[in-house]
Amino acid sequence: MEPDRTERLRRTLKKRLAAETRETLQWTEQRNTGSPKAMRYFYDVFRRWEDPAALVGDKPVIATSCMQVPLELILACGAVPLRLCNGSHALEQAGSEFLPAKACSLVRAIMGMISVFRERLQERLSLVVVPTTCDQKRKAVETIAEGAFKVYPLEVPPSKHTEEAEVYWRNAVKKLALTLEKVTGTRITAGRLGGAVNDVRQASAQYRRLSRMQQHDPPLLSGKDMFLVMNGFLFDDVNQWTAAVARLNDELDERKQQGLFAGKGAPRILLTGSPPLAPGFKVPLLLEEAGAVIVADEVCSCSRLLDDAVVCGEPKLYDMIPAVADRYLKPCTCPIFDSGEDRRRKLMESVRRFDVDGVVYQSYSGCQLYQMEQRGVGHVFREADIPMLFVETDYSPEDRGQLSTRFEAFVESIQSRKRRI
Amino acid sequence: MKRFCGIDIGSAAVKIVLMDEAGNMIAHSISPSGNHFYRSAADALTRLLETHGISKDDLSRTVATGYGRKLFKDADLSISEISANALGTKKVNGNGVPVKTIINIGGQDSKVILLDDDGNVKEFGMNDKCAAGTGRFLEMTALNMGLDLDELGRLHLDAGRTPVTINSTCTVFAASEIISLLADGHEKGEIIAGVHCAIARRVALLADRTGVADRVLFDGGGALNQGLKSALEDELMREVAVPAIPQITTAMGAALYACEGF
Amino acid sequence: MKKIKRFFYSADIDRFRFYVQIISFGVLIYGGCLALDLGTHLPTFACPFAAGAGGTCYLFPLQHQANMPLRQLLGGRGIGLLSGLGGFFLFFIFFNKSWCGFICPLGAIQDWITRLRVRAGIRYSMYSKATFQRLKKIKYLLLILLVLLPLGISNSLFGLPRLSHDFATPYCMACPGRTVLPLFSGDAGQLAVDFSSATTTVLTALGMTVTGLFFVGAFVKRRFFCFFCPMSALQYLFSKAGLLRLTKDGGKCTRCGNCYRVCDMGIREIAEDIESRNIVKDDCMMCFKCVAACPEENCLKVSFLGATLYAATEEGFFKRSSREEKRGT
Repeated sequence: MEPDRTERLRRTLKKRLAAETRETLQWTEQRNTGSPKAMRYFYDVFRRWEDPAALVGDKPVIATSCMQVPLELILACGAVPLRLCNGSHALEQAGSEFLPAKACSLVRAIMGMISVFRERLQERLSLVVVPTTCDQKRKAVETIAEGAFKVYPLEVPPSKHTEEAEVYWRNAVKKLALTLEKVTGTRITAGRLGGAVNDVRQASAQYRRLSRMQQHDPPLLSGKDMFLVMNGFLFDDVNQWTAAVARLNDELDERKQQGLFAGKGAPRILLTGSPPLAPGFKVPLLLEEAGAVIVADEVCSCSRLLDDAVVCGEPKLYDMIPAVADRYLKPCTCPIFDSGEDRRRKLMESVRRFDVDGVVYQSYSGCQLYQMEQRGVGHVFREADIPMLFVETDYSPEDRGQLSTRFEAFVESIQSRKRRI
Repeated sequence: MKRFCGIDIGSAAVKIVLMDEAGNMIAHSISPSGNHFYRSAADALTRLLETHGISKDDLSRTVATGYGRKLFKDADLSISEISANALGTKKVNGNGVPVKTIINIGGQDSKVILLDDDGNVKEFGMNDKCAAGTGRFLEMTALNMGLDLDELGRLHLDAGRTPVTINSTCTVFAASEIISLLADGHEKGEIIAGVHCAIARRVALLADRTGVADRVLFDGGGALNQGLKSALEDELMREVAVPAIPQITTAMGAALYACEGF
Repeated sequence: MKKIKRFFYSADIDRFRFYVQIISFGVLIYGGCLALDLGTHLPTFACPFAAGAGGTCYLFPLQHQANMPLRQLLGGRGIGLLSGLGGFFLFFIFFNKSWCGFICPLGAIQDWITRLRVRAGIRYSMYSKATFQRLKKIKYLLLILLVLLPLGISNSLFGLPRLSHDFATPYCMACPGRTVLPLFSGDAGQLAVDFSSATTTVLTALGMTVTGLFFVGAFVKRRFFCFFCPMSALQYLFSKAGLLRLTKDGGKCTRCGNCYRVCDMGIREIAEDIESRNIVKDDCMMCFKCVAACPEENCLKVSFLGATLYAATEEGFFKRSSREEKRGT
């Protein structure tokens, strides 16, 4: 595209992106007057989306997509991980230029992010690590490289629990570690990696503590707020984020004593499927508007990020790097693998643990993986007599009315079920 | 005496049902939505109340449902049309063989609702993105052929020959197809039958994805059309029952909700 | 009460085990000096060749008792074998296979060598899945031979001529316990080849080789020797009756594989098996490292007669991890 048009497009998109961010904040920060004070930190972090160039600070940045990239390795090199996955309709449209019409909204949004903010990103971005997860992400590697970015495809095996997969992935992660060292010019030592592992583990500990607040009936935090908190993890400084979550947890403990809850009497929902991402949290917002409260989730922009933790047997690199690798592969419940068994079991365990009344399974229109997995997941829930609503959507705001109707009907059917029981 | 009101604000028509405390319907009305849903709905309600000598203050509770439910500020509550339809079906069916599936073909959408043994919503599927399975297709067909909507059913059933296949999946493109079929000399009846089949097929697809179980109730404005009913029975390969006034089942459900909750 | 439980569940079991191993080592190697005698039915390698040992490994009397004409074995004298086995069983069921993880002196020595290896920064090896499956059968073979060889002295088995008396305690000749454990009381006399007959030459030479392998193996693989141990095989036959139990709640398992990663024996089933409740496999030495490595609340549990002694808890996992980090280990 010619430079003038590009500049015009960029300005328009930035304005729209800022508008999307402000709208989400209106639904959360402003309408949610009962939110805990500690949420202010996360609203402020979220506000950075008004100008994503600000997401990229002064340290060297390693951009990633998906959740399989070991953050500990990036942190051990002294770099900052930045997840490119976003939920902006404006960026999705910008990215449509590079992808087929029926492509996944998320991949389009990533391309949009890269193309619209290219100059700023190129200053700070040392590398874009793209795990070869689904078809579209894998093919996007070359498209991203067209934008003159250094792209590193991280090879993800198609199986999880075979020995071959374990070896394949450990080697892939080792290669990545060497590449990161070269690109950042910093050696990964056992001390640095140990520190990074500990930082992420602390984040995981605080996340689990927060997630347990939702097991309470009624829950202590609304689903909207939970998603905003986790959104911060995708690009905020790990230690600052952990400290902020710790403060939030402390405040929620107090609120429990005072009897201040979120979503009293509302049907408890588990949201799973394609991830809701900043700045557009359409589905969680509409779902909670319809009278539900999201107490649990099984998506890669929220619980999947920090549910699992690394354990090192021996404090040396020859053990720590495979340990980090294993944590990102073995418990991963992404639908890219040939078996969805771990995901189904995790969903059932979450339903039990959080005393869930119903499940909302969302899939982006371009995502065949989630749509295909819906069958198996649906069977499991049907057998357990747990109501599940499947919705197919994308980033555009046009289907808000239709989604609302479905969510309201689902909430009403759960309420009538509960009254009978 | 307490009165309850259920108002279903659809894209094509506003349906109102007034009910007494015992849950019996006192009055109902069906009027076009026009361009201003809120005004049409408010006017329709005023007219209905006047006709039956009921004042607004007598209404203990008003529940709105349907496409325009959020716009109608005079209601006390609103519920989704899916839940309302299920409630209304329970009432309309009375002590008959329990209804397990509701198929609703409305002005701008079609719905399939699966009910459990107690008549409450178990699963549902909606087509609200494409006009091809909705009343809009029928409207356009009638318009293009210079007919009234009411005539379509009779013309279908009177036509002896097999229905013509409509190839276009899009309602708008189908209009051109119909015009060329007329020009080719096809009978109005068989073309209408083809249109009915196309709609029925779409709805049957939705039903298959959602699930169908006997006994099936067919309601919504589309159920007035005998031809469409017959086409639907052919596609589903089972009989469907149609209530006396199929357009008001949902409004009745809303009124019931106003009267006795869930 | 709950607070006490949570305190215990957050404990570093590996550290606790380290101290228990030292005490056990002391008792088993030097106990005799304090007139301690725990008997001859011990389910662990307390070696009678070490002067001052506090007890004797059961395999020693077992070999002697198997050295009996079959007629007598199936007659009155056979009761001796049964009562020996009974004594072994009684000692065994209390601690189940944790005899291997917490008490066995050979195990302790291997763990100490492992610590040296880690400090030296030498990486460890693990068997591939296929090799693991093939090699694990060896210990059963060895157990069978352990009984057959002495039996072959008093009987002519499979049409073969009777074995010489030098085969009396063949496994003791080959066992690294005999060569290594006396070293701790200053006796290096067992580190020699006995040339008195062809049989003793072969057996003691084998013993020296096994001893060498024992040390080299411990530097290469964690608990190398334990994979082939006939005592482990014998214990596993009775493990299901053990009062100390290690159980798993498969529903909670996320298959993260942490348990398998830290397992010295490299048992994949701890992570892969989500159906079984009793998760003690034949190679397990019940060291409970897996329980300490599991972040899922109550997924893995150690219990004794129904009462939970140690369980995987989220709190414990994170406390232990941050302790390790602070220690810099």
